[in-house]
Amino acid sequence: MSSTAPMRRPAAARTRLAPLAGGAVDRARLAVVPRLRSRAPRVPFVMLVSLVLLGGVVGLLLFNTSMQQASFTVTERENEAAVLAARQQALETELALLRNPATIAENACRIGMVMPPTAAVIDLATGKVTGTPTAAPAGACPGQATR
Amino acid sequence: MSRPSQRRPARPARKPVRKPVRRPARKPRGAAPGSPMLRLRVGMVFIAMVLSLFAARLVQLQGVDPNQYAAMAAAEGEVSVILPAERGDIVDRNGDPLADSIDGLMVVADPSLTQKRATELAGFLAKRLDVDYFATTEKLRAQDSRFQYVARQVPAAKARDVVAAAKEKGFVGLSTREDPVRTYPAREIGANLVGFLGTPAKDGSARPLAGLETSFNTYLSGHDGEARYQKGASGDRVPLGTNVVDPARDGQNLTLTIDRDLQWYSQQVLADAVKQARGDSGSIIVGDSLTGEVLALADYPTYDASRPDLSSSSLYSSRALSDPYEPGSVEKALTMAGLIDAGKATARTKVVVPPRLERQDRPINDYFEHDTLRLTLAGVLAKSSNIGTVIAADRYGPGELRDYLTRFGLGSRTDVGLGGETPGILPSGKLWTSQTADRIAFGQSLSVNALQMWAAINTIANGGERIDPSLVKGRATLDDGTEVGTDVAKRSRVVSEDAARQTARMMERVVDPDAGVAPGARVEGYRVAGKTGTAQRVVDGVYDGSFTVSFAGFAPADDPRFTVYVVVHNPRNGGGGGSVGGPAFSKVMGYALRRYAVAPTGTPPSRLPVEW
Repeated sequence: MSSTAPMRRPAAARTRLAPLAGGAVDRARLAVVPRLRSRAPRVPFVMLVSLVLLGGVVGLLLFNTSMQQASFTVTERENEAAVLAARQQALETELALLRNPATIAENACRIGMVMPPTAAVIDLATGKVTGTPTAAPAGACPGQATR
Repeated sequence: MSRPSQRRPARPARKPVRKPVRRPARKPRGAAPGSPMLRLRVGMVFIAMVLSLFAARLVQLQGVDPNQYAAMAAAEGEVSVILPAERGDIVDRNGDPLADSIDGLMVVADPSLTQKRATELAGFLAKRLDVDYFATTEKLRAQDSRFQYVARQVPAAKARDVVAAAKEKGFVGLSTREDPVRTYPAREIGANLVGFLGTPAKDGSARPLAGLETSFNTYLSGHDGEARYQKGASGDRVPLGTNVVDPARDGQNLTLTIDRDLQWYSQQVLADAVKQARGDSGSIIVGDSLTGEVLALADYPTYDASRPDLSSSSLYSSRALSDPYEPGSVEKALTMAGLIDAGKATARTKVVVPPRLERQDRPINDYFEHDTLRLTLAGVLAKSSNIGTVIAADRYGPGELRDYLTRFGLGSRTDVGLGGETPGILPSGKLWTSQTADRIAFGQSLSVNALQMWAAINTIANGGERIDPSLVKGRATLDDGTEVGTDVAKRSRVVSEDAARQTARMMERVVDPDAGVAPGARVEGYRVAGKTGTAQRVVDGVYDGSFTVSFAGFAPADDPRFTVYVVVHNPRNGGGGGSVGGPAFSKVMGYALRRYAVAPTGTPPSRLPVEW
């Protein structure tokens, strides 16, 4: 359909206009201007545009992939951090129990250590010693008394 | 394609032209009627109707409830995670933990998956997680259930290990969820102060059940945060997607004035003292004389804060604060300090002490038989004579003694931050009769809590200025909004510095082997001032014949650094304040002085005369 219509229409227009102002129409007819030819070769430009487009697409793809990869790594590292933090806390708890004075006293008592009842004090400024240092007597461990 | 469709409408268009007469009679089925104009109009109306439907939907979406749909769209693939705020730690004055929060997980099972190998899995879990084998088997086999707790509040590292090991052995249906754990590495040490948390509530919030955990719950809790982000199918975050993080605000740490080691030693000494005296219970309070900081507050019997389920709930509170009792002769030190401050007596004031004093309603006796004694005021205190004290207290004007005792802090709470504290009873108005006044002068007919009494005696140690005792270093806000701590502790002058020093020198005579009644309270190498107390106990509203024995004192007497108060309720070995409280005082005081490297002052001890 589209191929036949334009061919007919100028013919009809010419027939209708010719009797009115044939000379004017002839004078007003557009002349074909010689086409401006660029001497620059077209291939490099096309290549460049294609390369830019291709590079953009590939770059975007790579960027996305790397972002995704980073996201995987973040998740992985976060899990790892959580596990390590938990491990650290478990060890700290264990340490806190070992540092509990009751545990220390129990262990000290088991190997025969006792609480000193007195102490002598040395004044570092004057070198004077107050009190008499005496050996601690053997006795029950604190808190071990029975009724 | 376009041709047949063009031809079809052409034929019916011609039909009405050819047979105009038949048109009203019969309308061909499926044929568009009328001229092209009419058809255009019909089509136009049809399109308009369809478009108005779209428009209506558009109005509904955008105008009526745009947010709901936006939210629904946003929710697609978006994850919201609660970032739990970490509960603040409770630490002692040196930063050693008394209560600590660690990441925890609950191990849960899906019985629809676990029931096949329930017994085998229960055996494995019983061994690894300390859970009961039979109860666990039952849970793993539960019918019509897809969620059962296997173990709660398991440290995260352990829970992950166990679940991973179970997976390796081919067990299915186990998973973990957040469940924060509170640990009490100090266990019994300071348990009555710190308290503990119960199993978290359904929404994961903490359920404090005792002690400072309860009274400072808001301060310790902090605020949970939230993270919202978009998640891919793999569970990873979508880069460049929504990512909103409202960080959790962790709870604040609560630093106590307690010294964990001293607290431990005080508890051991107290346990020994109560057991050896065959008593019911007791308390020891150790504090810094100059700042009012409580370094140790021991209660016996106590419990293990990490396993409170093993002890009766009656042991959870701190009896040093919650149980009122009559202080007995320790209070005489306050009576004397007031007398000296009011200028009505001095340490050398001469008192004639008869063997028995007849007063209005009943005679007053001393705990020891004696003839008429000629004691100085210092002697009255050193020998702890009730008769002598009552005679000396007669010099007070009306209401004067009560006024002094109020300023010493008796009858009002110390408000250190622990709930359930008793204000004690200091009779007032009509209840303050002359008989009551006599008995109050030597520490009966009024009741106190141990910390109140400690603060009162510490007033004498601190040169007559009372300092509010503190359990919290710095400042912290209680759940009811009040701020407590060393930063807000108030000081108030009760007696003059001279009156306090004289009283301290009188109290030194109490531990003198010749002049006083409590030589057992001496600390080798140091000057010690103290006062014994043996008071009748009120049980169910009557004196039942049992006693409360106590010893309060400070050292070095001429430059006090620590004030220690020992109380033992209902000793059954016949011991008094000197023989039960004295040695315990001596041990704890000696330990504190050595621990804080306090050098002996090296000055000669008080030689105040006790007789004349």
